[in-house]
Amino acid sequence: MDTSHLAEHAGTAGTLFAQVFVVATLSMKTMIPLRVFAILTNFILIGTAIPSHNYATIVVQTLVLGLNSYRLHQMLQLVRDVKKSVTSNLSMEWLKPFMTERPCKAGEVLFYKDEAADSMFYIVSGRYRLVESGIELPIGAIVGEFGMLTPSNVRTQTLECAESGLVLSVTYDQVEQLYVQNPAFGFYFLKLVTARLFQNIGRLEQRLEQQALAVKIA
Amino acid sequence: MSDDGLLSSLRYLFADFLDEEDTTPPFLPDGLPEEAVPAVSEGIHLLMDYQGATYARLYVDRVKRFVGRIDAGLLAEIARLMAERMAYEDAIRIAQCKLAEYRDSGGEILSTDIKQFRFDELVDALPEIAADPVLMVLGKIGWEHRRVSIPFSTASRWGLRRLKAEAWLRRWRRFSIRYGQERVWVERWLHMIARALLKQPQSVGAIVDTATMIKGHGDAYRQGLADWHAIIDGLVKPVFDGVLPLDDLADAIRQAREAAMPDPRQVSLKRAIAEIRARAIGAGGNAAAE
Repeated sequence: MDTSHLAEHAGTAGTLFAQVFVVATLSMKTMIPLRVFAILTNFILIGTAIPSHNYATIVVQTLVLGLNSYRLHQMLQLVRDVKKSVTSNLSMEWLKPFMTERPCKAGEVLFYKDEAADSMFYIVSGRYRLVESGIELPIGAIVGEFGMLTPSNVRTQTLECAESGLVLSVTYDQVEQLYVQNPAFGFYFLKLVTARLFQNIGRLEQRLEQQALAVKIA
Repeated sequence: MSDDGLLSSLRYLFADFLDEEDTTPPFLPDGLPEEAVPAVSEGIHLLMDYQGATYARLYVDRVKRFVGRIDAGLLAEIARLMAERMAYEDAIRIAQCKLAEYRDSGGEILSTDIKQFRFDELVDALPEIAADPVLMVLGKIGWEHRRVSIPFSTASRWGLRRLKAEAWLRRWRRFSIRYGQERVWVERWLHMIARALLKQPQSVGAIVDTATMIKGHGDAYRQGLADWHAIIDGLVKPVFDGVLPLDDLADAIRQAREAAMPDPRQVSLKRAIAEIRARAIGAGGNAAAE
């Protein structure tokens, strides 16, 4: 019995079924469901291409499946890391995979006071000094994360490289994209920045108390 | 979705490639002294023509930093010099000016200006993503610093078309390598003025005036820029960092500027800076010993 027409019909039906998933994928508003549906579509397209021996589709969809899976993994990992940061040390190291390296020479200024802020930095190596306050920033410090959420959006100090090193930078636009694409990330990011802000306020209050105590003793 | 909504969404999507939608000039900063109004207004007008409303707003934001902190005359001078520097001269600007000259004359001025550029200078006016590979190739074949003569002509239809195409590149200017360099320069100059206000207010005028060292394009521009950085790095910054005990910074800047010659090796300028530094350190040491 000739079964080739059955394979052909199965292929057509499968392709139609896959199109439903293509539409569903494109109608997703945020990144994680979009990737999940894209992966399902990849599986269906691969499945329907097997009976008709459409090897080109199989190869292309397998590659896209790998890409979609990697991107989904990245997004889920990002949400998990931000969530973990909120409940542990308030670190922003999770941003590192999205940052680009920028070598800095001694004397180079990363940004000036009152300049419009457009990116944040993670210090990897070298020595960096806030010019106006004279404070030296330790390795691992994140600089400029509040600038993204402040209405004035300007730098409050000048950051100068005192000893050549490396920083990682990410623009606010890139973080905004992550925020918009991924509501869970956005939620935990806000929680994290607020927690860091409260941590700073706490430190300032502690410093004020110490100063008041020192005045009393004197 | 209405047509207007769809069009505005498409405009937003291609905002980087289309001309700026907003053509409303920014307001003058609050509290701007009367004496500084003409300079700031002129600056806004110049930068609206040069780039657009967003760039003019950046200028106003930069002027705002000094409103109420310095006297009106000096503020006007900062506003004037900053507008000049923000409207830096690149091939796009030269094309814009040439077209404006043609339009203002009602199409009567038909002329050709030939300007000399270095290849890297021309490529720097392109967006970084396009400029980087070109610069890499030019560097590999050793043509980076090779000079090229570019005609800017209103004398023929082809020349006018070319000018229009070059002036059209204005919308990509803010993504260019040169834009980034100029932004850093203006911020550094303003930073030095702000530090002078805190550390040596009597030298503010001299620091403001250093902006006149940088003009035009090509060799003259590069020389001025190199001299400016030599003076700032050798004298101004060390004074503000507290490592160079120089009481009269304004006079030191004047002496250094007098020593600056059109010499790419900056021999005379570097010598003058070294002498000023040696004198200041010597005087500082003597004062400490006494």
